[in-house]
Amino acid sequence: MIRFEDVGVRFDDGGEPVLSAVDLQVDEGELALVVGATGSGKTTLLRCVNGLVPHFSGGTLSGRVTVDGRDTRTHRPRDLADVVGVVGQDPAAAFVTDTVEEELAYGMESLGVHGDVMRRRVEETLDLLGLADVRQRTLRTLSGGQQQRVAIGGVLAAHPRVLVLDEPTSALDPVAAEEVLAALTRLVHDLGLTVLLAEHRLERVVQYADRVVVVENGRVSSDLPAAAMATSPVSPPIVDLGRLAGWSPLPLSVRDARRVVGPMRTQLAGRAPNRIVRSVTMTGQGEALLSARALVVNRGRRPVLRGIDLEVRAGEVVALMGRNGSGKSTLLAAACGLLPARVGSVRTGGLDPASLPPRELLRRVGLVPQDPGLLLYGETVSAECRAADTDMRVAPGTTRTLLVYLAPDVEDRTHPRDLSEGQRLALALAIVLAGEPPLVLLDEPTRGLDYGAKTRLVASLRSLAAERHGVLVATHDVELVAELADRVVVIADGELVTDGPADAVLAGSPAFAPQVAKVMHPQPWLTVADVAAALAAS
Amino acid sequence: MTRAHHDPRLPRLLHPAAWWAWAIGLAMAASRTTNPLLLALVVAVVGYVVAARRELGAASPFGAFLRLGLFVIAMRVLFQALLGGGVPGRTVLLTLPEVPLPPGSGGLRLGGSVTLEGVLAAAYDGARLAAVLACIGAANALASPRRLLRYVPATLYEVGTALVVALTYAPQLVEDARRVRAARRLRGHAGRGPRELARLAAPVLDSALERALDLAASMESRGYGRSVHRDARSRRQATTLTLVGLGGVVAGVYGLLDGGSAPLLGLPLLLVGSAAASASLAVGARREPRSRYRPDPWAAPEWVVLASGAVAGGLVLVAAQRGVQDIVVQTSPAVWPTVPWLPVVGLLLGLVPAWLSPLPPLRAVERVGDSRVIHTKGIRSAS
Amino acid sequence: MTGQLARHAPVLAVRWRAAATLGATTLVGLAAFLWPFLAQPGSGLAHGSDAPWLFVLLIALLTALVVAELSGGGLDAKTVAVLGVLAAAGGALRVLGGGTAGLEPMFFLLVLAGRVLGRGVGFVLGALAVLVGAFLTGGVGPWAPFQMIAAGWVGFGAGALPRASGRLERVMLAGYGLVAGLLYGVVMNLWFWPFLTSGAPAGAAFVPGDPVAANLSRYAAFYLATSLGWDLPRGVLTAVLVMVAGRPVLASLRRGTRRAAFGTTGQFVAGHGEGG
Repeated sequence: MIRFEDVGVRFDDGGEPVLSAVDLQVDEGELALVVGATGSGKTTLLRCVNGLVPHFSGGTLSGRVTVDGRDTRTHRPRDLADVVGVVGQDPAAAFVTDTVEEELAYGMESLGVHGDVMRRRVEETLDLLGLADVRQRTLRTLSGGQQQRVAIGGVLAAHPRVLVLDEPTSALDPVAAEEVLAALTRLVHDLGLTVLLAEHRLERVVQYADRVVVVENGRVSSDLPAAAMATSPVSPPIVDLGRLAGWSPLPLSVRDARRVVGPMRTQLAGRAPNRIVRSVTMTGQGEALLSARALVVNRGRRPVLRGIDLEVRAGEVVALMGRNGSGKSTLLAAACGLLPARVGSVRTGGLDPASLPPRELLRRVGLVPQDPGLLLYGETVSAECRAADTDMRVAPGTTRTLLVYLAPDVEDRTHPRDLSEGQRLALALAIVLAGEPPLVLLDEPTRGLDYGAKTRLVASLRSLAAERHGVLVATHDVELVAELADRVVVIADGELVTDGPADAVLAGSPAFAPQVAKVMHPQPWLTVADVAAALAAS
Repeated sequence: MTRAHHDPRLPRLLHPAAWWAWAIGLAMAASRTTNPLLLALVVAVVGYVVAARRELGAASPFGAFLRLGLFVIAMRVLFQALLGGGVPGRTVLLTLPEVPLPPGSGGLRLGGSVTLEGVLAAAYDGARLAAVLACIGAANALASPRRLLRYVPATLYEVGTALVVALTYAPQLVEDARRVRAARRLRGHAGRGPRELARLAAPVLDSALERALDLAASMESRGYGRSVHRDARSRRQATTLTLVGLGGVVAGVYGLLDGGSAPLLGLPLLLVGSAAASASLAVGARREPRSRYRPDPWAAPEWVVLASGAVAGGLVLVAAQRGVQDIVVQTSPAVWPTVPWLPVVGLLLGLVPAWLSPLPPLRAVERVGDSRVIHTKGIRSAS
Repeated sequence: MTGQLARHAPVLAVRWRAAATLGATTLVGLAAFLWPFLAQPGSGLAHGSDAPWLFVLLIALLTALVVAELSGGGLDAKTVAVLGVLAAAGGALRVLGGGTAGLEPMFFLLVLAGRVLGRGVGFVLGALAVLVGAFLTGGVGPWAPFQMIAAGWVGFGAGALPRASGRLERVMLAGYGLVAGLLYGVVMNLWFWPFLTSGAPAGAAFVPGDPVAANLSRYAAFYLATSLGWDLPRGVLTAVLVMVAGRPVLASLRRGTRRAAFGTTGQFVAGHGEGG
């Protein structure tokens, strides 16, 4: 269905070729998963399929790409719209119209599909993706999962035979991601659609794949999932566990892994994870850097937080979990004074953050927002760092030094917008840390991060905690929490539901259990590193 | 279109063009008269129809247009009072202190006596504009101009799309700006003053432009621009029509401005030119194979609404042509205006849509207890 | 990187038909704004009170025609998206400034975007931004066509300024912003003037059929009395914003245009992939 023959791509900036010597074939009805680190050329590979590279992006393509027999040399993306549908990472950025039905119809209007046919297909698509209840809603009022399903529906309604998705779930919470992936697998099984899917969070998707395409430094190889995962540069925890144990074939789903995990469980029986129990709150050490008492916060007239009691102490990392819209971001905003407490109180270092002047505030608390780009205004990395030094009133060079520590490979002259997600996060974190706030807040830091960037983030946050900072991270990413947090706080509908040590909360909950915990259940292991350490000791 | 669409009892949104045509008809009527009673009637008629047939949910701009109208009347009267007027008037209401101005200031006068006749003339004139504004406000309230965007001629399709994109994206942009401003606080700035606005502008614009590229890629992948196949002949036709139209309009305007040219030359030239220009908008892309999703039907109720506006406007126009008494009210000396019957009948016909046009869906749902109203959803799945 | 970008690769080339349409529209537009001074005694327009309404329709039609001609041959997806997003920004700024008298930050964006993206986009952007602002505030009134064409001129003019770079460019743009902001007000008031004062032939009112000089001096009085207070802040605000925010905004617009690679086609070479 999709064929790459000796394809190379080079952009006009005079740099290295982004892809070289790519030979790839994806057959009809396959779900092919594209994996690779940030900047490896995944997106370029996907965009070649419908000719966006090079027709839209510029640059030079050598070799040949054909889809369903149509050559991208002679067919522009718009001429392939009835064969290939492309869905990007941020569904909201791709919407042309503002209601669900119109958005589904938009592509067909462009293709000149007849009115009656169009009407029928829109109805079919609404049912297929479970959108019938929201058909007349404004797109902005939909949840992330619904938006992504509308985006998929928008390309699907034109009846393409190939669907290309670039990280469709990386901006979604686990439930919404599950919705989208369920819809996708249904499309593959029921309609025989060919799907090419790139994704960072392999733990979510690898078990659905028929084929895995590994992209590494512009080189592409493809194989059956288990074989490809054995050597892939990026891999989900379950594969790491399998590699550690030497299981063959590698299990890709929790179900498969549990079938072969028996001997390992026996070997580890009676041992407890040698995790340093770091939670200082439980032992009463550490000063309280953040304390909320019966905190109620409104957005507009609507109360989003309804009486939260929470403490974060020096030296601990607390993970804040909960559904989208449960109040996580609002809690962080209240903690750094962006929203005032309506009832109750919030104190950072004993003072109300909303009443502090901004210059005082950043000495006590720093927030890395969900989109770290919001903190960046400079035209180059070095200008940004200099501005941050002035803003934070610290010695020149402080921010740059921190950045080198957090992300050694960032160049001075790059525009902050051209950095990868991981580098951008590192830059924002460096700026926040320059003011040396005792309390550091992060909102969804792992959006769009690959495994390498995530590992570096965990290391830097752990060392912050070791230096007696308090860290509060709002996240959906259970694997991150398993590696990082001392304590987990779960909020739902603006109320605090759970507050306890990470091990207990994660291992005990089906919704928040990381993959390793699911495999090792009922033994309380959370991460591959814990298991590896225990195995090495035995 | 099904037969049900002809039934005014089936709740649905009326074609936006029908509402705009109706409102323009009434606006035309209003622009023909200075009789305050007739003008009040115009405002009452459109106000009643708005109250009866506006879709629930969105904020109504009608009130804003009414307030603007009142402001116009006030301004108009204020000017008359301050600067005096050429309306010969004997009934002096009050005398303002007159500010002496140097000679040669073009007959300008500041202050002096304020006459009843002058104030009335100004108020009537202002009321005429206010009534026209009320009609346009009614059109805005009954059919959002956004809905008209679906019916731009195909030559304006691209620009229409840009407009749709802009309207979709604007709320997002405001949200972005708010978030960037909040983030400024996190870097120790209070976020006020022009320098701060400057700081906001660049990141907001950066992310907006980035998103524009994503959007463009998505549009391109979904077949945008695929169906532009203009053949040479239709392009030549369009060019000819455009040029003829432009020539006609320019010459027509010149003819109207120039006192020396034949009195009847200006207007016909202008009309021909306008017609040709409009035609070129339509012809330029006649062969577009683009299709439209669920177009609003144009059925009997649309005709009724259109006719109601046209008749209302037409009757007042006829009355004005015939010089019916008190279409233009005498202000000097000031007399109480009479009510001419022909325009009144015309304007009352403008009320017809309040009964003979379909209820908008949400409003119908609200009245669902009423057994005569058929629920929209049932009809949709049946049709 | 510098101001020459727009000159070398106009995002929207102004072709001859578009130029002719724009020229004719400008003529009619001038007539629409200036007819109180131009109409000769005894001409068809001098006595009626219909002239302003006639011009509303004419200008609406011609603005549509200009925009259609400028976008003739089809705007590509990138241009539509960029236009849409910038018009959204302009419209939002307009709504933002709507509360404060005369403070209209939209012009700032219009001047800078016209400068970077060229005359054609400048015109279309100006017209669209006004319309978006009107849609957002919920009212398209009879003034909309005049505002569209006047704002279009502001954007067009910014795109037609001579080349310059660095500080000189910003000073030039700020100066242009000041003048454009003022002129916009002068012209827009002209449209409204006959409405507000016709039939009251004295003081600051329009007198149909009077000599040009007399009407002109009366308009000046009207303008000074009513509008300078609105227009001066608008011009000054635009100039100040250009001076303060011009550099980063120009940079981000230019970066955006560079990344968008307008008009790029992409190349194909036969044979083997790199390094294969």
